[in-house]
Amino acid sequence: MMTTRPASPATILTAAALGLAGIVFPSVASAQPSYTGPVPSRAVIGRADYRREAYVKRIDEVLNWRSGRVDRSNPATLDMAAICVKLVQGEDLDLCSARVIELMKDPGTGPFWMFPAVAVAYLGKDKLSPEARASLRAAWSKVLQMRGDTENHWAMYYTSLYLMSELYPNEAGATWYSGKSSEENLAESKGYLIHWMDLATTLGQGEFNPTHYIGEYMIPMLFLATWAKDPEMRIRGHMMVDWLMADHAASTLNGVLRGANARTDDTSVTERWNALASFFSWLMFGNTPPPANYGGWGIYFAAVAKNYTLPEVIYRIAMDRDHDYTQRDLKRSRRRWRYSDVDYAPVYKTNYMRHDYAVGSYEGGITDPIQAHVWDVTWDVPDPRGVNNTMFSLHPISSAQDMQMYFAEVPDWMQLGVTREGKPSYDSADKMLGSSRFEQVLQDKDTVIALYDIPPGTRFEHINGYFSKDLKNLTEDPSGWIFAQGGNTYLAYRPLAPYVWGTTWSWAKDKDKGDRRLISPHLKNGTIVQAASASEFKSFADFQAAIRALPLSIKLEPTPTVTFKSLRGNLLRFTYGENPSINGTRVDYSKWKLFEGPYLNAEKGSRRLVITHGELERILDFNTLSIVDRVLPEKAGDAGSSR
Amino acid sequence: MPALTAVFVAALASTAPGARAASAATGHDMYLCAGVNRDYIVGAKLVTLSGLYRRTAKGEYEHFGPNYPQIFAISFDPRNHKVFYTATINGCVQTSDGGETWRISTSWDMTEPKDVCVDGNAPDNVYLALPDGIAVSNDRGGTWVRREKGLPARGKYTQTIKVDRTRAGRVLAGCESGIYLSENGAESWRKVASATATVTQLQQSPHDPKLWLATTQNEGVLVSRDGGRNWKRIGGLSTEHAWYSVTFDPTHESRWAVCGWQYGIFTSEDGGKTWTARNQGLPDYHGAFRVSVDPDSGRLYFNLWRRGFYASDDFGRSWHFEGIEGGTVYNFAYISKGAK
Repeated sequence: MMTTRPASPATILTAAALGLAGIVFPSVASAQPSYTGPVPSRAVIGRADYRREAYVKRIDEVLNWRSGRVDRSNPATLDMAAICVKLVQGEDLDLCSARVIELMKDPGTGPFWMFPAVAVAYLGKDKLSPEARASLRAAWSKVLQMRGDTENHWAMYYTSLYLMSELYPNEAGATWYSGKSSEENLAESKGYLIHWMDLATTLGQGEFNPTHYIGEYMIPMLFLATWAKDPEMRIRGHMMVDWLMADHAASTLNGVLRGANARTDDTSVTERWNALASFFSWLMFGNTPPPANYGGWGIYFAAVAKNYTLPEVIYRIAMDRDHDYTQRDLKRSRRRWRYSDVDYAPVYKTNYMRHDYAVGSYEGGITDPIQAHVWDVTWDVPDPRGVNNTMFSLHPISSAQDMQMYFAEVPDWMQLGVTREGKPSYDSADKMLGSSRFEQVLQDKDTVIALYDIPPGTRFEHINGYFSKDLKNLTEDPSGWIFAQGGNTYLAYRPLAPYVWGTTWSWAKDKDKGDRRLISPHLKNGTIVQAASASEFKSFADFQAAIRALPLSIKLEPTPTVTFKSLRGNLLRFTYGENPSINGTRVDYSKWKLFEGPYLNAEKGSRRLVITHGELERILDFNTLSIVDRVLPEKAGDAGSSR
Repeated sequence: MPALTAVFVAALASTAPGARAASAATGHDMYLCAGVNRDYIVGAKLVTLSGLYRRTAKGEYEHFGPNYPQIFAISFDPRNHKVFYTATINGCVQTSDGGETWRISTSWDMTEPKDVCVDGNAPDNVYLALPDGIAVSNDRGGTWVRREKGLPARGKYTQTIKVDRTRAGRVLAGCESGIYLSENGAESWRKVASATATVTQLQQSPHDPKLWLATTQNEGVLVSRDGGRNWKRIGGLSTEHAWYSVTFDPTHESRWAVCGWQYGIFTSEDGGKTWTARNQGLPDYHGAFRVSVDPDSGRLYFNLWRRGFYASDDFGRSWHFEGIEGGTVYNFAYISKGAK
């Protein structure tokens, strides 16, 4: 058994997020069973009833843990999340009613207050006192709720407003903060939610594969699936939960979500497991430990989670793989208000998954102005807690103009402002988080080429390479390659320009983390990373020899250009600013599908996702608002067909 | 939505004896759109009062309406000052009873307007500056429609919008790609000045309706002397950094002021021919965001981002702290008392 873990940086971040909802824990993470316990088994549970039993057991663990954190003599510990849990469990109902009345005297603002309030309203519909329910309803009249400016804000805001308006129909505008009647609120909310689902199922998800914001979509969608009276919105909520989980399953390596991510944070980008996304992997798949406090927001999902059953086909995508696979997805940038030719930039994402490691990327550029993560190689470890199991490079740009592209704000305040809003590294030269318009990426299986062409005067004029404290056998080879081993993965990293090593993280409270930063202060630059399984070679030395023998041509002037024959025998040609080619064939992004791979397939614009594993198939069709499950004829040698 | 009301008392003037004489005992009411929450992020608890303030007869600043951190602009119906419209992160939020009740009059498809302007000569018509274009209501905010003919498909981010006070339906909009003019109630627009970044503010002279000023991010400060049809850059003001705000002095025809984050405040007392930095006596000039002149007293106001606002009774030669401690004034507004 593991002992109680100290609070990690992510725990602190999560606590900060929890603070938004007024959540107060007497201490952090003591006696949280699965967080501190042994690593879960990765064995596939074949029987549906056993899977369900294990799922319910995990839900109950969350509920019991959170309920046990309440100190009846300390009302602050009975926050909205705890009230939800108590209502589910039917405990301390009088106390909950009194506390709701107290909390509603000073309601919060915006979506992070609204969805907890909706959860309490629905869970307490028949359990809270009339006075408590009245106070909750009145809170929706007295504070002008802020809608926010991100897609996750709006998903929470409109789902919450939708559900509250359904719960209290036929009420006049004067009784709602919006000044609109229940029916007007309902129509507006439904309009937006369908618009957002349309975007996600035709152009791709905006805040795709987020390590934390996954909760801000999963929770409202499950709320819709559970509580919407309108059957259309109920099935839409259900289908979106399936959609998000299918994407999550295909993007995780034993439960750990790796890059590329539209949004992650300074901790999760290196300690890949340490994210709310791992709560969902733990809850749904049972294959990795949950983060501290179940990620905070996970409590709200757990309170309703018994109303959902993960389809077996999605479960098996996450758990039951016996082949390497490449999954290509089309995603989309955040809405661009200005300084761009398009409202939404397409994002072409590649995901190569093997037993020992995963390689993921998108083609470069800015998808989100602050927290995007473009590419990495992430290796598997038996216990991911506290392990920084990843390698990547980036251009750590800080740009007011980039942020103005996405925010309706003035330029001068923004770079400093975001560092005070939970994104402390944004304007730091040594950050490891973010995307740049001066980075372009080509991925072919487990080879990544990232090229940089940074104009003089850009803030900052170097690239950072991330070398984890958990790498072994780090070797700077005279050939120019840097070799290392992470878990059972051999890694070869080729800087295209001279570099020095740095060790400090100026923005972090814990500055000396043991990681190393490769700093390459050259404007024309690049990185090549080639990964392989240790089992493919007799020794680490053999791997190094194989890499050294690979044909490689590098030219940085006038434009960074690489020609490289990869370990997999493919000839990659890539010049910054031009479409790359693989074995002489240009990569044609215009033909990229919404999903394409052995598990997930959808045409661009189709609103229809086909989820497949072996003989199992589920089709989510937003055109017909239908979920169709089929068992397909068995095909010999089907990818991931071991059942 | 019922209103919340509280009183925010301005910090007393410390450096300018008699400064408070410029209070509301004259012809205009003064309103502020201000955010006071330091480092507020969506979802955080509101611990201070933000939103709308009005100056009382005692020269204090009284908060009214919703406690809301991001109200950027306000515009009044001249027929009834209890009817006004605000540009907020949620959209247009308006009241018809002086702030007792409120309604978010736009829907999900219009968000984060930065400016709103009632047509003083056709007050049923209200114009909204959106990050993806321009919307108009012809029924006092009952319904909103987009009116973007003549605007480019991209480059129509709109930061500021102003209606010519002399002619109904004549509107100027400051966008990402330049300044656009409509002379038919936004039925169509034409570009009258180009910009490579964003036009940040437009102002019409209270003395000469043909005289307009515009601040920009990249093009410096622009002037038009023919009602906004033609624009040229004002010499003597840098183009290196963004300018955010410009004002005329309604009490002196030749006095103008302009500010920018990196510059602080500059004034001209000869109609823009020469300019002087007027940052002496300010705690810092970085963060300069808004300038405005009280139309009754000629007092010059100057906001520093998240540090409240300062006042000068000698047009920038000396300053004293005026109010909204720790806050940002997104906009100043004055409305004539007489027309209520």
